[in-house]
Amino acid sequence: MSLSTKEYFVKETFKSIRRNQLMSFASVSTVALSLLVLGLFLLMVMNANNLAKYLESQVQISVYMEDSASNETLSAAAKSLKTMPGVVKVTSVTKTEALAKFKKRLGDQNRLLDALGEENPFPYSFDVQVDKPERIAEIVPKIDEMKGVETAKFGQEVVEHMFKLTRLLRLGGILLVVLLAMATLFIISNTIRITVFARRREVSIMKYVGATNWFIRWPFLLEGMVLGFAGALVASFVLVQIYLALQDKIYATLAFFPLIPAWPFLGYLCLCLIITGTAIGAAGSSIPLRKFLDV
Amino acid sequence: MLLMKGISKTYPSGSVALRSVDIHIKPGEFVFVVGPSGAGKSTFIKMLFREVIPTTGKLFVDGVDVMSLKPEEIPFLRRQLGIIFQDYRLLNDRTVYDNIAFAMQVIETPYRQIKRRVAAVLDLVGLRSRACDYPGELSGGEQQRVAIARAIVNDPLLVIADEPTGNLDPETSMDIMKIFSQINDSGTTIVMATHDKTIVDIMEKRVIAIEDGYIVRDDAKGVYGYEPEH
Ligand SMILES: Nc1ncnc2c1ncn2[C@@H]1O[C@H](COP(=O)(O)OP(=O)(O)OP(=O)(O)O)[C@@H](O)[C@H]1O
Ligand SMILES: [Mg+2]
Repeated sequence: MSLSTKEYFVKETFKSIRRNQLMSFASVSTVALSLLVLGLFLLMVMNANNLAKYLESQVQISVYMEDSASNETLSAAAKSLKTMPGVVKVTSVTKTEALAKFKKRLGDQNRLLDALGEENPFPYSFDVQVDKPERIAEIVPKIDEMKGVETAKFGQEVVEHMFKLTRLLRLGGILLVVLLAMATLFIISNTIRITVFARRREVSIMKYVGATNWFIRWPFLLEGMVLGFAGALVASFVLVQIYLALQDKIYATLAFFPLIPAWPFLGYLCLCLIITGTAIGAAGSSIPLRKFLDV
Repeated sequence: MLLMKGISKTYPSGSVALRSVDIHIKPGEFVFVVGPSGAGKSTFIKMLFREVIPTTGKLFVDGVDVMSLKPEEIPFLRRQLGIIFQDYRLLNDRTVYDNIAFAMQVIETPYRQIKRRVAAVLDLVGLRSRACDYPGELSGGEQQRVAIARAIVNDPLLVIADEPTGNLDPETSMDIMKIFSQINDSGTTIVMATHDKTIVDIMEKRVIAIEDGYIVRDDAKGVYGYEPEH
């Protein structure tokens, strides 16, 4: 392809976008909106995934001891817990510590505890951290059998809920994304259809003087791709702003929340959106072209 | 240059436009295709650049078997042809220069070559001074001259015209025919369908007369032969 030909394509593309301002604007907006929703969904799904993984890695087993357990039983239990395979750390929590922790968590409302009087309902417990979440299944039954152990619990339910939520998000997200992609495809192909229609005279003359179908196609294809690209750019910009603002808010209030760090995460996401937008633009414009050129 | 053997065309609607036509046109010939309305002249013309595909028969243009061309080969057949219509078919949002340059751009001619060549054909059709005007600012005859310039700008072997003077007055038509003569003198073959008795009689070129799809006459130095109907 010669330089003058490339120049010709670029000129024709932008001329057409300018001539067709309203539809071009509508297309860019639709692409931007669709991709923004797609981006937000990706953000949510990936963060939910991240959170689930984080929680899973944080899994620790809480071993609650019977109130009747003697000091010897407790220290024996601590010893055997430490020697179990995969156990990284064992922390003991005395009854008083447990009560204090709970009081702290209640904060202003710790008056509620006055009802308990001198009673301390919290059992003596051990927090057992393991190296891998998979260990839990083999360790927990063993701990349950140990002398003086009332029950051994771990955060499995939370993790499973998290994963269920992620799956649901992903499913809903895919459904929504497919719908939005179709809407985007529709509006872009309509825009290009209008462009092609407006230029049908030009196209027919091009055919009479011997332009190849690819030559005729290129400017329209480029137009679709430019529209898709522009929409993706807008969506990326807005998405980055939203995420950065969200990050500030979360760091200010929920510092422990394991949000995926903005960079380079957002960079990859925007790249993804831009590729998707451009591809949808190309696909959208080839739909009306195929019909139109097969004469 | 052009060879038709047993060409027939029946449109899907059932109307028969051509019946078993045999024609041979040599390089450099100037040929009029005449006949009453509905005789099949336009059908004959359109088959040459594969806008219409014959129902039966064989058709060769410059040695190319037009009927067996694959779709992606059609543009390359058309690059050998210059096609001119009754209604000019210019792009009204482009200048005269751009209308002509367009035909070179779309077959990917380098810039510098375009400039030189467009200037040359503008000279040939006598419109150099109007290069920057838009078609809407030109008379019908001038617009047709632009269309001719566009048709010949890529140096076609064969110029095909379907009633190019159909919308023009007799005097302007003669100007157009002078340009055609000039093009023909430089060796380009010309096939032109027309209703215009005066032109055909003055030019004294080969005349192929079609009636109801049949070739009824093929004279080397012919005349129109009968009164055109109106
Ligand atoms: N696209 C088409 N579909 C169906 N029938 C057609 C088509 N084009 C032409 N015909 C028919 O074929 C016959 C020949 O038409 P054609 O246009 O070739 O005539 P013509 O000699 O060019 O007439 P005119 O002098 O009026 O231009 C006519 O009967 C016409 O109705
Ligand atoms: Mg006709």
